[in-house]
Amino acid sequence: MQEFFDGMADILEIDAAQVAPALVLADYAWDSLAIISTIALVDDLFDQMLDGQALAACTTLADVQALIKPKA
Amino acid sequence: MSASPRHAQLTAVASHLPEAMLTNDALAQEFTDWSAQKILDKTGIAVRHLAAAGETASDLAFHAAEKLFAEHDIDRAGIDFLILCTQAPDHLLPSSACVLQQRLGLSTSCGALDFNLGCSGFVYALAMAQGLIEAGIRRQVLILTADTYSKLINPRDRSVRTLFGDGAAASLVTLGAAEPALGPFVLGTDGSGAGNLIVPAGGMRLARSAATAVEREDASGNWRSDNDLFMDGAEIVQFTLGAVPRTMQELLTTAGKTLADIDHVIFHQANKFMLDALRRKIKIPEEKFVIEIDTVGNTVSSTIPIAIARARQSGRIRRGDLALLLGFGVGYSWAGTLARL
Repeated sequence: MQEFFDGMADILEIDAAQVAPALVLADYAWDSLAIISTIALVDDLFDQMLDGQALAACTTLADVQALIKPKA
Repeated sequence: MSASPRHAQLTAVASHLPEAMLTNDALAQEFTDWSAQKILDKTGIAVRHLAAAGETASDLAFHAAEKLFAEHDIDRAGIDFLILCTQAPDHLLPSSACVLQQRLGLSTSCGALDFNLGCSGFVYALAMAQGLIEAGIRRQVLILTADTYSKLINPRDRSVRTLFGDGAAASLVTLGAAEPALGPFVLGTDGSGAGNLIVPAGGMRLARSAATAVEREDASGNWRSDNDLFMDGAEIVQFTLGAVPRTMQELLTTAGKTLADIDHVIFHQANKFMLDALRRKIKIPEEKFVIEIDTVGNTVSSTIPIAIARARQSGRIRRGDLALLLGFGVGYSWAGTLARL
């Protein structure tokens, strides 16, 4: 999960130390580009394709994590 | 058995870009929450070229063809087929290819047609050219790719304005190789994605009207009407990350080759973000992966030939190198091939 947090820090343009599940996405650069970047990140790390609308509906980073299915 | 050459090969490529330019500084002044540096980091694009008012895709194609003839000392009298790939024809009819036959001074025994595809279009044109030549129907096929997406983009839509640039390329495919120099081809289509990259109005299904000109703001703060280009970025990314690795694997398997046999991988130059994600996912070594987008932008069906022309010019691509070409996008439509350059 550390790679996911590091990737999200890049996407949200914040320091990796600031990334935590409770992070409120709207407080940072959570725009359409961030959403497509998150789709690519999760595909790269977890081999899963997240839905853009489901991502757009996320409020916190924990909501994004909840969309990622654990590896079988 | 005759030893005469019977295979098609891509022999020459040239490109033409309109004069006016749109820089990241200019975009950052309009869209203030993105800096010029951020636009460059994400898209890999520093400058896009824009067609002037009254300057059409066929004008750009004309100049690309003239450049091809001049730079490569090509006798236009020998061209016996013209294929124009564009989504911005001069008229509903006739085909812009017919207008260009006359304007370019090509023979009246030259076949000519338009076809409407976007980012997969160049590889589709190569497939048609190879078919015409290797079936013995034609000997020299001129491929023109040209588009002016800037005329379809709402000025207040950052999602597409940062990416697309206008431009054209001219490529010549001729009978002349003793060994196969083009192919195999993998082609594909999934029309279920038609609505994710679309200009809804202006065709026969939905005529332009006062109603289609009404602009609306989307959830990301971008404005557009039904007369404008719409792109659902998330859907396009999902499609691309699925279709491109699959198509590339199918192409290599069909050709009986591995990535180690390929000198250059040249994908449709959508944007740096998309290309980086694909390169990471497919694990393509950076030294094989051509990115030529910084001073051009996404020119739709012209990105692959423009990348070939630039990489040849810089010396990166040498005569005889084997390139994997793969286009993907609007339709959805995709196509891949191997080309001896």
